[in-house]
Amino acid sequence: MSKFSRRSFLGGSAAVVGGLAVADHLRFLEPSTGDLARDEEFLTGKEVVYRTGHSNNCDGACGHLVHVTDGRVTMIGPAAFGTTTIAGKPAPTFHPRICLRGLSQISNTYSPDRIKYPYKRIGERGSGKWQRISWDEATTLIATKFKEIQDKYGKTAVWVAPYTGSLALIEGVIGAGFRFASVIGASAGDSEGDNEGDSATPAGWNYVLVDPTNPANAGGFFTGHESVDFMSAKTIVFWANNVAETSLPDWRIMCDARDQNGTRLISVDPRFTVTCAQSDEFVPIRPGADTALIDGIIHQIFKNDTFDTDYIRANTVGPYLIDPRDGKWLRANKVIPGAKDDYVVFDESDGKIKAASDPTLKTPAVLGTHAVAGLKARTALQALKDMTAKYTATYTEKLTDVPAAQVISLGRIWGASKPLAVRVGFGLSHWYHGDLHMQALLTLQAITGNIGVHGGGVTTFAGGMAATFAPFALGDFWAPKGTTLYTLLEPMNFCDAVEKGVPFPVKAAWFPIDNFAQQMSDRNRVVAAMKQLEFIVVSDYSLTATADLADVILPACTYIEKTDLLSSNNFYLQYLPKIIDPLFESKSDLDAIRMIADKMGVGQYFTETPEEFLKQIMHLGQPDADPSVQGLTWERLTTEAVHLNTDPMPYVPFFNQQYPTKSGKIEFYVEMLLPYDQELCDHKEPIEASPTNPLYGKYPLVFLSTHTKFRTHSQFVNLPWLKEINNGGDGFLEINPRDAAPRGIGDGDVVRVFNDRGQMKVRARLTESMKPGVVNCYQGGWDTIRVKHYIEGHPNNLTHQIAKPAQSLIPNFPSNAAYYDVLVQVEPSGV
Amino acid sequence: MAAKNNYVPHHVMVVDTNRCIGCWTCAVACKEVNNEPLGYFWNRVLTTAPNQSTTAKAPASDNLDVPWGTYPNCELAYLPVACQQCNDAPCVKVCPVQATFRRDDGTVLIDYNRCIGCRYCMAACPYGVRIFNWGDATYAPGGVVGYGKEYSTGGRLVFTPERPKGVVEKCTFCVERIDVGELPFCVEACPMGARIFGDLNDPESQVSEFVNNGGAEQLHPELGTNPNVYYLPVARRVPGES
Repeated sequence: MSKFSRRSFLGGSAAVVGGLAVADHLRFLEPSTGDLARDEEFLTGKEVVYRTGHSNNCDGACGHLVHVTDGRVTMIGPAAFGTTTIAGKPAPTFHPRICLRGLSQISNTYSPDRIKYPYKRIGERGSGKWQRISWDEATTLIATKFKEIQDKYGKTAVWVAPYTGSLALIEGVIGAGFRFASVIGASAGDSEGDNEGDSATPAGWNYVLVDPTNPANAGGFFTGHESVDFMSAKTIVFWANNVAETSLPDWRIMCDARDQNGTRLISVDPRFTVTCAQSDEFVPIRPGADTALIDGIIHQIFKNDTFDTDYIRANTVGPYLIDPRDGKWLRANKVIPGAKDDYVVFDESDGKIKAASDPTLKTPAVLGTHAVAGLKARTALQALKDMTAKYTATYTEKLTDVPAAQVISLGRIWGASKPLAVRVGFGLSHWYHGDLHMQALLTLQAITGNIGVHGGGVTTFAGGMAATFAPFALGDFWAPKGTTLYTLLEPMNFCDAVEKGVPFPVKAAWFPIDNFAQQMSDRNRVVAAMKQLEFIVVSDYSLTATADLADVILPACTYIEKTDLLSSNNFYLQYLPKIIDPLFESKSDLDAIRMIADKMGVGQYFTETPEEFLKQIMHLGQPDADPSVQGLTWERLTTEAVHLNTDPMPYVPFFNQQYPTKSGKIEFYVEMLLPYDQELCDHKEPIEASPTNPLYGKYPLVFLSTHTKFRTHSQFVNLPWLKEINNGGDGFLEINPRDAAPRGIGDGDVVRVFNDRGQMKVRARLTESMKPGVVNCYQGGWDTIRVKHYIEGHPNNLTHQIAKPAQSLIPNFPSNAAYYDVLVQVEPSGV
Repeated sequence: MAAKNNYVPHHVMVVDTNRCIGCWTCAVACKEVNNEPLGYFWNRVLTTAPNQSTTAKAPASDNLDVPWGTYPNCELAYLPVACQQCNDAPCVKVCPVQATFRRDDGTVLIDYNRCIGCRYCMAACPYGVRIFNWGDATYAPGGVVGYGKEYSTGGRLVFTPERPKGVVEKCTFCVERIDVGELPFCVEACPMGARIFGDLNDPESQVSEFVNNGGAEQLHPELGTNPNVYYLPVARRVPGES
């Protein structure tokens, strides 16, 4: 291969690595060395291409083709999923997918910012003074301190909190960290939700569709439509879901539905996002007023008589009579002589009151108030109709800022366009009443016959979470035979545990792949609590705000350097091979756990290789393997993406119209929510971000902190390829000129954003995408000792951890970080 | 070589702006496969009004993703722009050393062994898609990424693994890839399927369908450059229509 002789190349000096100025070489933990020096030679070796999945905290779960030459990654591109037939029939098209972040993964793995070695803190916590130590020293220190703290304060005083930095099986949020916590008797954070504000909508989903008191439901679960199912929808409503920016590979499916099938796209959002720009209709809603708008649409459905009577009768609690004395279900054994305990209905065919399972029942009335044992009892649907009577188009406009004509039009569309699919984003869950918003959406979809049908439903998480975890015997993995499962301590309860010892004291914590100190709401309180801990371990590949507070930092691997498996909501299993050896002294979390477990006398639980664990967790090749992976061989698993849904029709939850509720039906009337005044989806104002809040006079702007396409939460944040497109990586506050002008704020001015909990400083960006009265600062940017993407502070300094009591009914989704339910004031900073 | 068995395709790219979400995946893909340094873009994604209309109120500030119009009546679209691979290219006409040339398949390329860095071609290009390698580059990540090899066509050197100093560069339609039957990498990487590449000489091809019947348009057709890059317009359905 000839060296190019006539011209010299650009910037080829080995001393300048990755663009960092030499003067800044102590910017991160170690001076940049020649390890990442640019190749002098061209690529001459043989190229090998691997297929893997991208496990970094994104439900896109793209497949990657990773090109390696001479042991070095040189290219990443999109990998096909390759399923052309299912059970002999043509499979729905599932295109290869990748985005700017996946492509940038090369610069993530080879970043000069990588944490390269283990470190221990030698100054005050948070002072950024470190001493490099060996792995042996680090793991001995960790094992010693964990044991010390457990002996002194109780086993649960050590809290292990793996989080969604990786969504893979062993290394991530459902992974080996929980196994470690179990075998040492420690406590552990949950594997889904409340950190991120993702728990409210799942809670609401369970209120209506799952009985949380039934052990068979394992404390509540959550699932949705396989994304290709949206091709069957006549109309798709994106409710607080900026799909084209935040789940962008799935937006292609929506475009295909629009272009191939004429599907109408409607986007409900306070911001005019790219999703809104690409939709056929934009619904500019006041933030947090979602239930009011849904109630307004339900009102139109009743007004137009477009509810689906047959569906309501067959699949919902609509016909069941309510006891007017206490709002609970009327029980047949109390009001019908000789009847068993059952729901009560009015049979229109003969005018009689009957038990719901009466064999002579022909036509249960869905509406009406009926005389029963001296009572006047309404059907549940009648109660819903009565509740929504006040939500006229005019009243709904007053509550939501959506024009009355548009409310009427939405009502008409929702009643006439079938099937209609709703895709809900976490934007809806970032509210105190996110559970209510989901409950309301399910109510609307229930009365229009859109649940459990192709092209219908209410879907979050990009698809079917429960279905895609079904192949894994996680319980056995987390609590091996002879051990008990870790004690659950939700992230939202961490501060109380540290500050007050409630429910038990926590004195030490391990954060693998968890940027807890930056991404938690009410950040100032969280950081203060973390500083009270006696010992903190952080495993990460970048020096995050959480790593800044550690006593011991362990260098972690990126997904390219370790074996794992990804099962995500796109219904594919993707094997993640170890493609290159871990860089520097980084180790997989499993290897790190093994070293510590050995020193704590529980090493016998970590003798398996990653491959052995994967086979174990899936019962691969065994007769008791989950039906979705029956007959799956290791060979097939490691060479191609495996489609989990073995039915040629896309997965639809409750396609059989069997609901795991007490009644077996869709319970849009939720009896267990009576003590919380939420048995029906009557709108409630946000807990903070409401004009009815007295605080509003002082803090009149609603503060959102949405997700940007240039980051994945707090990953990919410091990558040059992405920063150079995204404002040099600097954060900004999106503000409407109508809010900026009276405050004397011009584009690019530094502003202070503040409330009683904290403040931040950042530059303003004037844009008409923001509804006046609402501001937005994209979350995920760093606020660390050395790297600041906001001039001062962080959006999470403004947020809170106010938990909604009703959610405690769902064991797996008991609390939620309502990131958007926040009021602030903004003023020029003068800096 | 582009021609096999004497058949010469006419390479054309169609960009569907009705689907483009301005994610810059194509721009980063281009950066990766061509090993471009920081600050250098052969492919950029402009924030525009749909179909570059000028009726709506101008954006409140000059930043990415800021829409036209006044809330809630906003408009937003994106226009990915790289070399338009013109059939009647001004750059080819003005190059004093004939370093820039149009290949028989319609691709416009630069011969690095001939380019003297006079940048006359940059002045001539009405689309502003050529860049000059000043020599001040830094790369991320360290190490060669992308195609990683030299490539010549017709005896002319049209791609190198690292960016050569003192020459002009631009999109090559990934000549080294298309010549072996692969797609330009931006086409392969676009997550929306908003980029279509193919042979205009083939009446059955998708690009032929878009160019001949589908309303695909060129940028600034009045300039007479006759680009091989076409754009499908933004076409949103009016709300309320079923």
